[in-house]
Amino acid sequence: MQKFFRKKCILMIVLAAVLALAACSSDAPANESSENKTASDTAESASSAVDFDHELDSYKPKKDNYNFYFTYKTVHPWWDAVALGMEEAQRQYLDKGITITYEYMAPEGASAEDQIKRLHAAEKEDFDVIGVDVADEKVISPVIDEMISSGTKVMTFSSSDAAEGCRRIAYVGNTHNYQDGADLTEALCKKLDYRGKVAILVGSEGAPCHEDRARGAADTIAKYSDMQIVATEYDRDSVDRAYDLTLKILKDNPDLDGIICCNMSNPVGAARAITEKKSDAVIVGMDHDEEALHYLDEGVIYCLGVQDCYSIGFDTIQVAVKIADGKKPGKLFPEKTNEITTIIYQEDAALMLELLYGAV
Amino acid sequence: MKKKQITNRTIVLTAVIGSLLVMAAVIANSIWSTKQTASATDEAVSAVSSFYLEAMADRNAMSVTNQINIAFDEMEKAVAYIEEEDVDSQEELRETIGKIKSLLSLNRLALVDIDNIVYTQYTTYTGRSRYGFLAEEQLSGPTVDTVSLYGSSKQLCLAIPTPGLRIMGKTIKACFVQIDIKDIVDMLAVDDKGRTYFCIYSKNGGNLSGTELGPVISKQNFFDATEGKLPEDVWEKARDNFEKEKNGSVTFSHDGNDITLFYVPIEGTGWELAVLIQESVILDQIHGISERNIRNSRNQIIFTLVAVLLLATVLLLEFRALTRHKLEEEKENSRALHKMANTDSLTGVRNKHAYTENGAALNQQIQNKEIQKLAVIVCDINRLKEVNDTQGHAAGDKLIKDACALICEQFSHGAVFRIGGDEFAVILKDRGFDSMTEDINEFNRIVEANNQEGSVVVSIGWSILEPDDHNLSDIFERADQMMYERKKELKAMTPAR
Repeated sequence: MQKFFRKKCILMIVLAAVLALAACSSDAPANESSENKTASDTAESASSAVDFDHELDSYKPKKDNYNFYFTYKTVHPWWDAVALGMEEAQRQYLDKGITITYEYMAPEGASAEDQIKRLHAAEKEDFDVIGVDVADEKVISPVIDEMISSGTKVMTFSSSDAAEGCRRIAYVGNTHNYQDGADLTEALCKKLDYRGKVAILVGSEGAPCHEDRARGAADTIAKYSDMQIVATEYDRDSVDRAYDLTLKILKDNPDLDGIICCNMSNPVGAARAITEKKSDAVIVGMDHDEEALHYLDEGVIYCLGVQDCYSIGFDTIQVAVKIADGKKPGKLFPEKTNEITTIIYQEDAALMLELLYGAV
Repeated sequence: MKKKQITNRTIVLTAVIGSLLVMAAVIANSIWSTKQTASATDEAVSAVSSFYLEAMADRNAMSVTNQINIAFDEMEKAVAYIEEEDVDSQEELRETIGKIKSLLSLNRLALVDIDNIVYTQYTTYTGRSRYGFLAEEQLSGPTVDTVSLYGSSKQLCLAIPTPGLRIMGKTIKACFVQIDIKDIVDMLAVDDKGRTYFCIYSKNGGNLSGTELGPVISKQNFFDATEGKLPEDVWEKARDNFEKEKNGSVTFSHDGNDITLFYVPIEGTGWELAVLIQESVILDQIHGISERNIRNSRNQIIFTLVAVLLLATVLLLEFRALTRHKLEEEKENSRALHKMANTDSLTGVRNKHAYTENGAALNQQIQNKEIQKLAVIVCDINRLKEVNDTQGHAAGDKLIKDACALICEQFSHGAVFRIGGDEFAVILKDRGFDSMTEDINEFNRIVEANNQEGSVVVSIGWSILEPDDHNLSDIFERADQMMYERKKELKAMTPAR
């Protein structure tokens, strides 16, 4: 019965996903306004943003048992969604008689130092593969290289890859953070009719995904002469800090027209502050935080870039198994497994809430 | 007052009208009974459906509560088992958790340390953002939490504190299991062919079970689906009841069907379990039964009516046969009486009354000139008084009989009447009239011979219809006159004894 429900749910989502795939990937035009979308577009973009329909590929693992270690930036629901994709892959392997155990750990606050400690500790254990969501590419990439040199199999996953040139074996996650930042900003510019003052909220300094998005945002703003960046602030992946920063920006710039949010906590804090101050500033942001989706539904947030965390988690385990078996990127798996980001608007919010949170 | 005569037609008419009236009364009574039954059924259905729903909702809520309590008990056992095991490593812990899961058939059993690291059979992960109950530094007691999983799947998370439990040098603050709400749905689901629906809701009306609550509410948020369909005060009351974990019921109409749903809180979860039934379903069931009963009653009535009609027909036919028989009997009696009234008891020939009746009819014919050949012979027995006086009445009677026999024998083609003690009249028509002369001559020859021998002597006189005659008595008078003459002649021819 449980399988039946899951399959039914998956079937519906796959159907919608297939229909919408072409139109709703990260390559979709960023300037697609909510006004131009039809009802079916809405359903398609929302339901295709996250793909729950996964089955293991035909690769036959060499061992019966695998033990992995994964560490990510910070304790946050975004990575809980990644964890669920991992658990689904683990369950499917178990059905095939292959036991996968793993640790999936993060500090309460993003910290490259903490990540280094975790990586070093994990290196001493007998893990087949160590996966890392890079907290700071400048700091972590050399550590990864050292681990690779010492024979440890290291991969990167979820939101942030290591720096260019790092010898990590593969990356599974968002490969287009710069473009995501650019797409969100393009949507904001169009909404503001390409003129106005905007602020950029970033997550953790040095976090590749956040920084890439911020760069994409800044470069897009630079294209329009009537657009101006009045502030760029880092919330260190804290909603409260995002809120405080937004209040400060609003105080300094009462005529602020928009805020570009580059991580999951940014839009929540910004929306709280905007609501409190009754500002007309338009918010664009990343990810699918439940509170952010409610703000989107209420029109406080203009649009959100939703990453397919579930697929990231599922594919991370699949790639980790192959890496553990000594396989290298190539035909079996890419060096970078691209996962989609979909920009959703107010009309998509209710369906997305239902899909992700059951609107409870 | 003149009494109206009862005829066969009257009886038949009465029987037919009576039968029709009885039939009409039976049918009208059946229709009235049917309507009364239907009305009573509708009222009963409403009461029964509410009662049924309340009982079903209570039972299902109790089932969920029992399952939760069982899970709490099992967790206590699991913690006790883990405490007894000397777990030194993560591998041993995973193995132990796996054993317990297998033994107790638990879906997802986990331990959480004070750093909110979650230990399961296969994974170890930081879980603060994933489980609401981990926001508390310490659990005060058993906790029930709803975990909304990615992809709208929801689970019930049951946690108990584990004071004093240390594993691998770490303090374990809680043990928890996750029960998939779909498993609860499977447990509650009964195959009732879509007649009743149930759904589990969160306080704000969110559908937790993913089940359909009938075609109207379907899988939507309870309050979103019912807003505008329920009176505002009822809707608000339901919201309040959900919030305060109270039970209640609502009824609304859709497509002409009354829909009733009952909701009860599931103890300790903050959920409401709603059960819905369309009254039309119960009505259809009961109507089905009623229709079968009505059909049976109708068949019985038709059978009874046919039987009554058949019986009435048989009775009517028997009654008619009886009546006819009685009429025949009466006619027969009448005929017998008539015969008795017109026959002479001594001789067996017709009597004077018959002669008078016949005479009346002939008089009519004579007057209408409808008859030509008509003669009357008047006969008188000689010496009857003497025989009576000397030999007794028995001898006299015998003489009368012998005389009558002689007359009947000789005038076999005529109608013989005894019109007095010793007097007979013979009316001759047609064939009797034609042979009259020969017959009279022969008769007189026999009489004259008898006169010589001292046997039966009968004097006769005769006359035929004359054109001036108006009635039979005119002919009779002449014949009677002639008979007296003949009587004298015969007396004269009688030898002396």
